[in-house]
Amino acid sequence: MNLKEIIDNLHLEPVTVPRNFAEITPTCGYTSDLLSCVMSGAAHQSIWVTLQAHINIVAVATLLDLSAIIITEDAKPDEATIAKANEEGINIFLSKEPTFTVVGKLWEMGLRCQ
Amino acid sequence: MIVSELIDLIKGKLINKNADLAREVKGGCGADLMSDVLASIQPEAVLLTGLCNPQVVRTAQMADVAAIILVRGKVPPQETIDLAESERIALISSPFGMFELCGRLYQAGLHSLEMPVSDPDCSCEK
Amino acid sequence: MSNSATNQGKNITDQQAENITRVEELSYELKVDQVMTKELITVTPETEMKEALEIFRKNRISGAPVVKNDELVGIVSIEDLIHCLQHNDLDSRVAKYMSTKLLTVRNTDPIIEALKLFVNSHFGRLPVVDENSKLLGIITKGNITRGLLAALQHDYQEEEVRRYRASHLFEDIESDRSSLILRYTIKQGDFTHGGAASSAIKRALLRLGASPQIARRAGIAVYEAEMNLIIHTTHGGIIRVEIEPHQISINVFDDGPGIADIDQALRPGYSTATETVRELGFGAGMGLVNIQRCVDSMRLESIVGKGTSLKLKILLHDQEVVGEGITTSKE
Repeated sequence: MNLKEIIDNLHLEPVTVPRNFAEITPTCGYTSDLLSCVMSGAAHQSIWVTLQAHINIVAVATLLDLSAIIITEDAKPDEATIAKANEEGINIFLSKEPTFTVVGKLWEMGLRCQ
Repeated sequence: MIVSELIDLIKGKLINKNADLAREVKGGCGADLMSDVLASIQPEAVLLTGLCNPQVVRTAQMADVAAIILVRGKVPPQETIDLAESERIALISSPFGMFELCGRLYQAGLHSLEMPVSDPDCSCEK
Repeated sequence: MSNSATNQGKNITDQQAENITRVEELSYELKVDQVMTKELITVTPETEMKEALEIFRKNRISGAPVVKNDELVGIVSIEDLIHCLQHNDLDSRVAKYMSTKLLTVRNTDPIIEALKLFVNSHFGRLPVVDENSKLLGIITKGNITRGLLAALQHDYQEEEVRRYRASHLFEDIESDRSSLILRYTIKQGDFTHGGAASSAIKRALLRLGASPQIARRAGIAVYEAEMNLIIHTTHGGIIRVEIEPHQISINVFDDGPGIADIDQALRPGYSTATETVRELGFGAGMGLVNIQRCVDSMRLESIVGKGTSLKLKILLHDQEVVGEGITTSKE
């Protein structure tokens, strides 16, 4: 499955510069709000689901080369965070739904934690 | 589903003996930020978290959480266990990660028990 | 296994479920010597079977332990007597008919151990011995049932009495305005005990008869404030809760460092917390927002270098009044 299918299926709102999402295929999923856990647990190219909208999430995503961050519960990153993400080429999507539901749906689509 | 069924479903291990296993679990909530849990979780949910400190139990107690699942087989410190014991909240350790657990529980029909933060009940702008 | 759990969950009420788990708990908490029969009627191996028959008849018992020099050596029951009668052998000694394959429990075992033995054997009574196999008593299924019932009754009454007393707290006190004040001192940096005060406040409110919703709202608001004292203050602070029949007033104050920009502090997501605090699950900039959502009014005042004061109120409407207060009707 690719990012476009995920965006459509979960009604996600992209907040970073749009690109050809159909070409990006995430390998697996990961969720945690603790940056240290993400650093040690999330695999290369995975999708990270979190409700943290703090600028530090971009640094973590860059470091791990994640394919996207989904920010849940209608939390909004500030402009500095979005600008930083665009600069680093990190995709950020927003969801109104809580982490539990977002992950539940990704799991239903067949995405797994490695 | 009740807590004892939940334990079976997630291959969980009950950490504290003094827990109410017949308590009904009405939905799920996965988060590591306790303030977020306090803001959004509705009563009788199961809380999935990667944290192990005593504040997890305190948060659960304040928010009327039915059971706590610690992800990836985490073993909490003794203070956390003692607190769960005295508050009679089931503290369960599961070998699965948070992603896998949300997925499995969602699949098993447990839905999110987090409400949008701008709920009419507490009538307060976000 | 999981099937039976499902059925259980569906067919019993919450109240029943609560009792079942309490009984299960009690079978681990109660010890054998708390429920066993201590007044023992014993026989010796040398007692004649016809004497044993007489002892059984006189005392209306159906079995007795056989003791030699204080030590338990066997048990003789009515079945053994019947066996003996069939052989017309009432003159012989107990030693000949008693059973010596003994299952015993220790006085210090939880009663669950006795229950397990009852389930796995056909015995109706088990001798209770100490660590030197000295006989101390006898335990039967009846002893266990009576012990459990007594303990349940005791538990139930204790909590009922507590709740009753607390919920009538204001009823018999005559004054123009009565209130109950709870005060807690919170230490800076005491992350381990964070929430202990909120927990006590929530419990007190429930005992006073507050609805679960009110107790939850107050609990969450005080908990966030308590964590703020632990994380952000210089020396910790004080939580003072005043409970009146018609409202709960919560005051939280500290002596520094103070908040420079209150509007900014109230914005969701704004936080000055360090990454360490975030890794502990706090400092997401939601604390004050959460507090505001849970209370009917909130006032936050702060002077940098002096300290911060947070005043919260939760109003209780007619049905939610705590302590059976009658102030409103008097006014």
